[in-house]
Amino acid sequence: MIEQRIAQRVLDEALKTGGDFSELFMQDTDNNGVTMANGVVEEATYTRLRGAGVRVLKGTKCAYAYTADTSEDALLATARAAASAIDGVAQGETRSFRVRDYSVAPRTPFASVANDRRVELLREGTAAAKAYSDEVTQVMAKYIDVDHRIMVCNSEGVWAQDRRPRTRVMIQAVATKDGEAQTGYESPGLGMGFEAFERIDVRSVGEQAAKTAVTMLHAPQCPAGVVPVVIDGGFGGVILHEACVHSLEATSVARGESEFCGKLGQKIASDIVTAIDDGTLPGEWGSINVDDEGTLPQRNVLVENGILKSYLFDMLGARRMAHPLTGSSRRQSYQYAPTSRMTNTFFAPGEHDEEEMIATMGDGLFAARMGGGSVNPLTGEFNFAVLEGYWVKDGKIYCPVRGATLIGKGAEVLMKIDRIGRRMWLGQGMCGSASGSIPTNVGQPRIRVQNIVVGGKGGAL
Amino acid sequence: MTIREYRDLVFNIALEQGCTAAEIYFCEDESFSVGAREGELDEYSVSKDFGLNLRVEYGGRNGYAYTEALEDADALVRKAMDNARTVETDDMCPMQGASEYEECAPRDNPLSDMSAKEKIDMALELERRTLERDSRVTQVQGAYVMTGTNRVCIYNTRGLEAEKRGRSSLAYVAPIMADGDAVKNSFAFRVGKECLNLDGMVDEAIEDAAMQFGAKPVPTGVYNIILRNSAMADLVAAFSPMFSADNAQKGLSLLANREGEVVASAAVTLVDDPFHEEYPRAFDAEGVPSFTKTLIDGGVFKTLLYNLKTAAKAGVASTSNASRSSASSPIGTSPTVMYLKAGELSYDELVAKLGDGIVITDISGLHAGVDEVAGEFSVLSRGRLVEGGVETRSVEQITIGGSFLELLKAVVAVGTDMRFSLPSGSSMVGSPSVLIEGVMVSGE
Repeated sequence: MIEQRIAQRVLDEALKTGGDFSELFMQDTDNNGVTMANGVVEEATYTRLRGAGVRVLKGTKCAYAYTADTSEDALLATARAAASAIDGVAQGETRSFRVRDYSVAPRTPFASVANDRRVELLREGTAAAKAYSDEVTQVMAKYIDVDHRIMVCNSEGVWAQDRRPRTRVMIQAVATKDGEAQTGYESPGLGMGFEAFERIDVRSVGEQAAKTAVTMLHAPQCPAGVVPVVIDGGFGGVILHEACVHSLEATSVARGESEFCGKLGQKIASDIVTAIDDGTLPGEWGSINVDDEGTLPQRNVLVENGILKSYLFDMLGARRMAHPLTGSSRRQSYQYAPTSRMTNTFFAPGEHDEEEMIATMGDGLFAARMGGGSVNPLTGEFNFAVLEGYWVKDGKIYCPVRGATLIGKGAEVLMKIDRIGRRMWLGQGMCGSASGSIPTNVGQPRIRVQNIVVGGKGGAL
Repeated sequence: MTIREYRDLVFNIALEQGCTAAEIYFCEDESFSVGAREGELDEYSVSKDFGLNLRVEYGGRNGYAYTEALEDADALVRKAMDNARTVETDDMCPMQGASEYEECAPRDNPLSDMSAKEKIDMALELERRTLERDSRVTQVQGAYVMTGTNRVCIYNTRGLEAEKRGRSSLAYVAPIMADGDAVKNSFAFRVGKECLNLDGMVDEAIEDAAMQFGAKPVPTGVYNIILRNSAMADLVAAFSPMFSADNAQKGLSLLANREGEVVASAAVTLVDDPFHEEYPRAFDAEGVPSFTKTLIDGGVFKTLLYNLKTAAKAGVASTSNASRSSASSPIGTSPTVMYLKAGELSYDELVAKLGDGIVITDISGLHAGVDEVAGEFSVLSRGRLVEGGVETRSVEQITIGGSFLELLKAVVAVGTDMRFSLPSGSSMVGSPSVLIEGVMVSGE
């Protein structure tokens, strides 16, 4: 992507005003996308993102500049633009590079795949969704693939290259009846080449989207109130992502902006809770071979048997808290300075029986499929949507319910988890934060929360 | 190579290869952002960026290719043509020809003329004033000043040559306040020339954070509510996809084929005004000249938002609402400056009229809690309890839920206190506070 001698000049230029660390990040990314509406290809796109960002640190002060022009002159100008925010005289020079290439070539690179094969996936998924029920009136299907190639080098001699292929299909089914419309969607993805579709069965993706839409079409509004909630595995782990781990990112913790500040070694969750962020899982949506500062990812045990064990650190956060790095530095693109982020984040499997936790819950909500959510890391106040919910009466599934939202405070909800099932699986999402939108996995086994505020617009069933 | 040289090269190749038309959307941005913390410059970011999106018409179909590397024009055209071959829809995608545009006075943006040092000083001053204003302010999560310039050029082989430049500025502050064990945060922003009003911003953020102390839920039930201007603007923005003709044509909007029907109370008039001083533009993302339209007029639904493609499909004219969510995106539709027209009651008069109920000052998690296809929402909310026409205490950890169109039908009165949300892409949405009857609230 760039010659070492040019990179060195750029890094040195960035240090000229007294920065103690400089970094150059470069990216060249190819994306392909196909959109199908009701079985007809509506759009096909190709995008190439290429650019570079220069970061200068002085203590915990951070200056960042980026450009789409990757010529040597433009990179030097970008380095000067970043350095202009630092006030001082040059302290040192770039050390010689230790070049590491962490790239793993995909078995089937996207560039070798013709659009016909992308379209065929969408056609199969759409057909499966439509075949599920006559009430499915609309199916939107999208395919994306990304071949993200990066290089990061810094004044301390780090030089790391990575290639991060990933691909995803999204199928959204709309079921309608009597002027009402309900939506279901599924969007699995993996961090590998086109061989991902040996593992992703697009038919079942379409079917599941249709099942949610049709089930919710016949569901009454969810009763509002405070009740026990069982959240199923997979994307249900969004509760951990929002209610806890965003507040463990150095972005929040290192600045005293998290409800979990100063609580390392303390009990923050019920005894059965162990939570992990692991960027090393091969081929997973949230995995990285090296982070965006050149640090290797690792398995970070965040909470162990209810005790807070670790936060997630990037370089700046680690400087602020004098803590080792955790391989958690990520960014969407060269247009963002990196910061501490999640990779694949999940509740570790527990010992409870999945059926028993519903049978003994009394009246409440079984959230079979979760949607997105958000959190205020300072107060821990979170919210998320339930895409497919079932009302439970006296320990038995009574009927599907629509329109539920779960709200609460992270620290409270973690203490109220009283069941964790045995089988864990992952679900895919895009996580938005200070350094942009990045692919992350959430995951969990089926869990039970003793009680939580369920928002909806319904009354008694 | 200049953009015009690259354009000519790409157009020549495209036409030689058998494309019947080609269009370039070129975007060039510069940005500056500075954040202060603990009395020092903390975060500093500057950028120079560009991107070029090629659209070709080949075999009657459109294909797109976007690049940030102005090289290898052959490969770019080839990618776009490959994509046109993949497309199956027979929908017409017309391209705008040569057009005349109204003069569009740019917004007053004093920050654009400031030096980097002046903007750094302004961010430091913003933090300092926030820390000094109230002893309960423990720290400032962010005190930021941002400016940007942007240039868009749309050219096509049908004669379109549309160019515009824009300038923008934004300042925001996010204080953290503590009272005993309770810790609360908030956020206030200003855009354009209002950025200079630091005290207004500081007061608003501190008032909003302080208001949250002692807040607790209310019992679950049906309440009359006021949705405060910024909260209503956020909700209208979240449901704006319902007004997209593209969504309506795909069966993803409850407003499809309902022009002429009463969809809201007579108090509701919704306008899309591309010339609005908050964010004026002379043409849309397809180069169609801007014009103002009323979407809901006294409760009656008048029109969806169209671009050239969806207009051709419906047999109507574009409403000048073509947009691209980023330069790399294909053409879609979105509002320009959309707002609920102001009514006649001041905020205090609305509260008096409410009598007993809740003022919702903030709603959050809209990307999760809003289903624009079903037209339904259930969102985390906070605000103030009103008893006998007087605000008596703060409320948090509740949700409000309902159907957006039912909510619009239940609007009893609209205030005069217009407020716009942060710009999102090329859209900006505004609303006054509104009084709404019979909303489901979930609390304790």
